[in-house]
Amino acid sequence: MNWIGIILPFIAVSLIGGCVGRPLLHSSPGPAEVADTHIRKPLQTIRPYNIAHRGSNGELPEETIAAYKRAVEEGADFIESDILASKDGVLICLHDLTLDNTTDVANHKQFANRKRSYQVQGLNITGWFVVDFTWEELKLLRVKQRFGFRDQQYNGKFSLITFEEFISVALHAKRVVGIYPEIKNPVFINQHVKWSDGKKFEDKFMETLKKYGYKGSYMSKEWLKQPIFIQSFAPTSLTYIANFTDLPKVLLIADPTTRTEDTNQSFFEITSNSYFNFIKKYVVGIGPWKDTILPSIDNHLSETGATDLVARAHAHGLQVHPYTFRNEYLFLNFNFNQDPYEEYDLWINKIKVDGLFTDFAGSLHNFQEWSSDKGN
Amino acid sequence: MSFRGFVPLLCLSLVAACAARPFYPLPSKIVNQNRQPLQTSRPYNIAHRGSNGEIPEETAAAYMRAIEEGADFIETDILSSKDGVLICFHDVTLDETTDVADHKVFANRKRTYEVQGVNTTGLFIVDFTLEELKKLRVKQRYKFRDQQYNGKFQIITFEEFISIALDAPRVVGIYPEIKNPVLINQHVKWPNGKRFEDKFVETLKKYGYKGSYMSKDWLEKPVFIQSFAPTSLVYISNLTDSPRIFLIDDVTIPTQDTNQSYWEITSDKYLDFIKEYVVGIGPWKDTVVPVKDNYLQVPTDLVARAHAWDLQVHPYTYRDENSFLHFDFHQDPYQEYDYWLNKIGVDGLFTDFTGSLHNFQEWTSPLPK
Repeated sequence: MNWIGIILPFIAVSLIGGCVGRPLLHSSPGPAEVADTHIRKPLQTIRPYNIAHRGSNGELPEETIAAYKRAVEEGADFIESDILASKDGVLICLHDLTLDNTTDVANHKQFANRKRSYQVQGLNITGWFVVDFTWEELKLLRVKQRFGFRDQQYNGKFSLITFEEFISVALHAKRVVGIYPEIKNPVFINQHVKWSDGKKFEDKFMETLKKYGYKGSYMSKEWLKQPIFIQSFAPTSLTYIANFTDLPKVLLIADPTTRTEDTNQSFFEITSNSYFNFIKKYVVGIGPWKDTILPSIDNHLSETGATDLVARAHAHGLQVHPYTFRNEYLFLNFNFNQDPYEEYDLWINKIKVDGLFTDFAGSLHNFQEWSSDKGN
Repeated sequence: MSFRGFVPLLCLSLVAACAARPFYPLPSKIVNQNRQPLQTSRPYNIAHRGSNGEIPEETAAAYMRAIEEGADFIETDILSSKDGVLICFHDVTLDETTDVADHKVFANRKRTYEVQGVNTTGLFIVDFTLEELKKLRVKQRYKFRDQQYNGKFQIITFEEFISIALDAPRVVGIYPEIKNPVLINQHVKWPNGKRFEDKFVETLKKYGYKGSYMSKDWLEKPVFIQSFAPTSLVYISNLTDSPRIFLIDDVTIPTQDTNQSYWEITSDKYLDFIKEYVVGIGPWKDTVVPVKDNYLQVPTDLVARAHAWDLQVHPYTYRDENSFLHFDFHQDPYQEYDYWLNKIGVDGLFTDFTGSLHNFQEWTSPLPK
C-alpha cells in the first residue's frame, strides 16, 4: 500500500466524478435504489483496512442488517460476511452451518424434528443445519447474540439476511464501503445443495457479485468504486473463480491442527514459501488466525516471538489480514494489559499487517483515527 | 506510543533500581530541579492502587509502572500495622491480596471484628507487626488478571510509597487515603496520645508536603488526602492545608464515623458545609450515573451541584475489563473514558489502568507543547 497510497487519493477523487449517473440496482426480495447523485467519500487505502467481522457483532447480533449498518456508521472500511446456502439454493449470510448458536430455531416447534447429524470436515456435528431449511423457513427465525457476555437486548429482533441484502447495505452507505464475503464451507454446501442449472455454489456466488456490478482487479478504477475481497478457506474455490473474475481474493488459513477442507493440505504446507509462490497467482493476500503469527503460552505472548509468516507473505507480495480482534479481556493476551487498543497498536505498528478482522469496528476506528496524528 | 514489552525486563530494572539506592525508611534525597511539572490542564489520571490491572496492587512495582505509564497521581490506602507503622494496603484483612494463608506461623491469628457494622473474619492487618507483614508476599486480587507476579512483591510502607513519587523523573502527585480510621484508632494506639490521623499528617510533613491546592508548594509536591470519614478530614484541616477529598460510598452505606446517609452527605446543605474542608468529592461512579441491567440511566445532578459549590469530582473506579463496562460502552474502556471526561465532565478519574487512560488523553486531548 506504499506509493499506491500516495497517488491513489488523487485517482480516487477523479473517480468520484464517474460515479454520478450510475444505473439503479435492484435486488430481490427488497428494493435497492442506489441514488448516487452526490459524491461519496472514497475508500481509504493509506492505512490497514478496518474489516467489520460479521458486522459490529460486539454490539449487535452478528450478520444482521443492524450489525452491518452499525459497522458502516462506526467507520468500517469493509463489512464482512460468511455466505452459505439455504435448502432451496438462496445465498444467505450466516457463519455456522447450524442455526443453534445464533438463532431461536430451538423455539420453533415445527422445526423440532429437523435436527440432523452430518460430517463437517471430518467431524460429526449435530444440529439444525441451514441446508435443511428453505429461505422462507429461515425468514421465520430470529437472530440472537452469540456470546453471553455481550449485549442481549436485541435477541429476537432481527432476521437472517441474504447475500443480496448484505450487498445492498454496502451500496446504500453514504460513503464507499467495501464488502468482504466468504465462500464458506463450499465442500459441504455443494454436497447438500444442488442448483437446477447445474451450477455450483461458487458459480452462484460469483453470479450475485456480477449482478451488482462488482468487477475489476485490486485497486483498479472499478474496484475502488465497489471494493471487495473474496475470502475462503478452500483454495480450489478461489482458483476456480479465478478463471472468470479478477476480483481480489484472500486465502483464509486456520490453526495448525486443521487441514484444508477441499485439498486436505496441512497448515505447514499452505504456509510454505513454495505454496505462497503458487497461490500468489490467484490471491492478493492471506487471512490467518492471529495466534499462528503470535503464539502465546499461559496467555502471555511467547518470548521466542512472532513467526515469520507475515514477513514471508509480504515478500511474496501477499497482504495479511489476520482474524479476529475482540475487545473482551478473555480474548486479550496479558501483554496488552486488558486493553484492546494495545493489541491494535502491536498488530498495526509492529507486526504491520494490512487489514484486521474485528468484532469491534468502532474501537479499531477510534484507534486508527486518534493515533494517526502521532506518527509511528 | 510504543508496545509495552515484556515485563520481566521491567522487573529486572526495578530490582536494579531497588539495589542501587536506599529505599526504606529514609526520606528521598533526590533533588530533581528541572522535572517535568504536573499537568493541570486536563482531568487527573489517578493510578488507583498503582497499575494494578497489570501488577499486584499497592506494590512498588505497581506504582513504578503507573508512573512509567503517565499517571498524574499514584493512589494508595493507608492502614496501620499492630506496631503503628503506616502501610499501604486496601483491605483490613490480608486474605485476598497476600499469601498469608501459606504462612503456618500465622494460622492462629484469624479473628472476627466488626467493620462498619459488618462482622468480618480474617487475618487482620492490625494484628501483625511490620516485621511480620514484610514476610508476606502480595498477589493479584483478580483471577482474570496477570498472575505471574504473585509471590514476588512485598507490602510497602507509606514512606516507601512517598519515596517512589519523590524519586520519579517527573513531578508525580500522591493521593493517599486515611482508610478505616475508626477501626484503626480502635485497634492501634500510638504514644503521646496521637491518633492515626496525626501520624498520617506527620508523615506527609516529614517529606515536605504542604501548601494549598495549586500553590507553589503544592505544585512541587502535589497531594490529595482522601477519606470516607468526614471527621478525619475536618480534624486534619487544623493540621495541614494540603487539599482533601471527601470519598462517598454507595447509596446504601452510611459514613463510618458520623453514620450519615448518602442522601445527607450529597445534599446541597452538606456540600455547602463540607466545602470549607475539602476541595472535592470522590463518589462511586454508579451513584453519579445510575445503572440498570448494565445500561446507564439518566445521570444525577451530583456533578453539577458539586461544581456549583466549587468542588472537584473524582469518581472511582475505572477498569478495562468488559465485565466492569456497561453495555453503552461497547466493551471499550476508551468509550467509558470519553463519556466521563467529555459528557459528564469530571475533574479526575481513579483508574486501575493508568496506561489506557493516558493513551486516551494523549490521543484526544494532548497537552499543549
